[in-house]
Amino acid sequence: MTSDEKEIDTMTIDHAVREDIDLRELPDRPVLFDVTDLSVYYGDFQAVADVTLGIREHEITALIGPSGCGKSTVLRCFDRMNDLIEGARVEGTITYHGIDLYGADVDPVEVRRRIGMVFQKPNPFPKTIFENVAFGPRIAGWKGNYDDLVEETLTKAALWDEVKDKLSEPALALSGGQQQRLCIARAIATSPDVVLMDEPCSALDPIATLRIEQLMMDLKQDYTIIIVTHNMQQAARVSDRTAFFSVDVTDEGQRTGRLIEFDRTEMIFTNPTQKDTEDYITGRFG
Amino acid sequence: MVDQRSHFHSELAALEQTLLDVADRCERMVGLAVEALTTGDTDLCEEVFVADKAIDATYLDTHNRWLSMMARQQPMGGDLRLMSALLHVNVTLERMGDQCVNIANLARLSAGLPARDRIIEQIREMADLVRPMIRTAAEALVRRDADEARLLPAMDEPIDRINRLMYREVVDCAPDTRMLEWATHMMMAARALERIGDQSVDIGEQVAFLVTGEFQEFSEKGFVARASAD
Repeated sequence: MTSDEKEIDTMTIDHAVREDIDLRELPDRPVLFDVTDLSVYYGDFQAVADVTLGIREHEITALIGPSGCGKSTVLRCFDRMNDLIEGARVEGTITYHGIDLYGADVDPVEVRRRIGMVFQKPNPFPKTIFENVAFGPRIAGWKGNYDDLVEETLTKAALWDEVKDKLSEPALALSGGQQQRLCIARAIATSPDVVLMDEPCSALDPIATLRIEQLMMDLKQDYTIIIVTHNMQQAARVSDRTAFFSVDVTDEGQRTGRLIEFDRTEMIFTNPTQKDTEDYITGRFG
Repeated sequence: MVDQRSHFHSELAALEQTLLDVADRCERMVGLAVEALTTGDTDLCEEVFVADKAIDATYLDTHNRWLSMMARQQPMGGDLRLMSALLHVNVTLERMGDQCVNIANLARLSAGLPARDRIIEQIREMADLVRPMIRTAAEALVRRDADEARLLPAMDEPIDRINRLMYREVVDCAPDTRMLEWATHMMMAARALERIGDQSVDIGEQVAFLVTGEFQEFSEKGFVARASAD
């Protein structure tokens, strides 16, 4: 290289490869649920096989996949709702704060106090708005100021301003989106640390859906959220990590759900490692 | 397997094909512009201007199609990466067209001025080096071939070298002011060709991102390191 060449070379822009900076990295929060080799059977039928994943505190984890892939079945394992289904059997382990959730000395009622659930269709009790929120703590024998509790809970559920003047009116008079936020309030009234949501917006209009999504993002400061959704865009919008499930069909037509890929949401939707995930998110399936 | 989004995927493939056609047109424009510059045949300049107008129209249309697809289809995964890459490629090709216009304008300004064969040869050599770069970038995109894309920095290196040394050739023309004026135009044309080389590398970077999901700028150093590791 001549001196002239060198001089000009130093003026050119440095195109050296930059240090790897992974802007998409999430904070390394503790694992709340550690799921290992989870399989769920209904009688002889294996609904889900060999699921292993970790749900981290104060994150929103989305479970997505085609119908019959077992995502709702897996969700119901986190609060032992499958116990209520006759013939259901869970194999493998789920630990919660390091404790075996299915251990012999674990009380499923206590599990459901700590782990709230919101269902697909808003299902408030046929009681007043106030009583819907107060119901869980009353059953649990909570002694405290119920007026404060109801206000605080409805505020967290982004519903207080809309209902503060009609707390004694029937919950069923509310709109669908308000009913669903009331159900979220009911789920968090017992101070759980996890909220499970099974298709919470599928019965709601787009504006009510966005309000719930906004609420979820607010709530993750205080809770760990796991959501099952059919809506991939919703998973992409709200979740920190996404688990993609698919379904294996045997020659006899038996369908068993399987976890294909679990990663940060950005990775799942921009650069998944598994072909099945790529095919699903780009609409090549069936 | 059934493609449940075949309408969207056809639209996406058509968008990509539009840009591949533009790449082809850019490559031919480089040939025309440099021919005009080195032969003084300024009739060729008009062809370059017409071709650039067409590229500008395609650029705007492509942008609108892209935006509409993004809004309506919300692509994910490989589709999303392809959309992202095509947006960059669209801008890059439009700029390549503009560089060809710069060269054609310089051809008009240079016509009738005294020229120097040695510089003309170097300009021609740069064009002969840069045209295959545009083809390689387009082929790498068609083939989804990141390794082919990574060849581009090495192809670009001799173009950069000639461009860096061009000013020395220009200084040598100084005693003749008219030739100096001509040579200054050649230095600017060399700079335009050097930019087209860099823009081909940029397209290669987009291809590597599309294939691997990792976006990195290529560097000659990076290329050598990778090549020697293989």
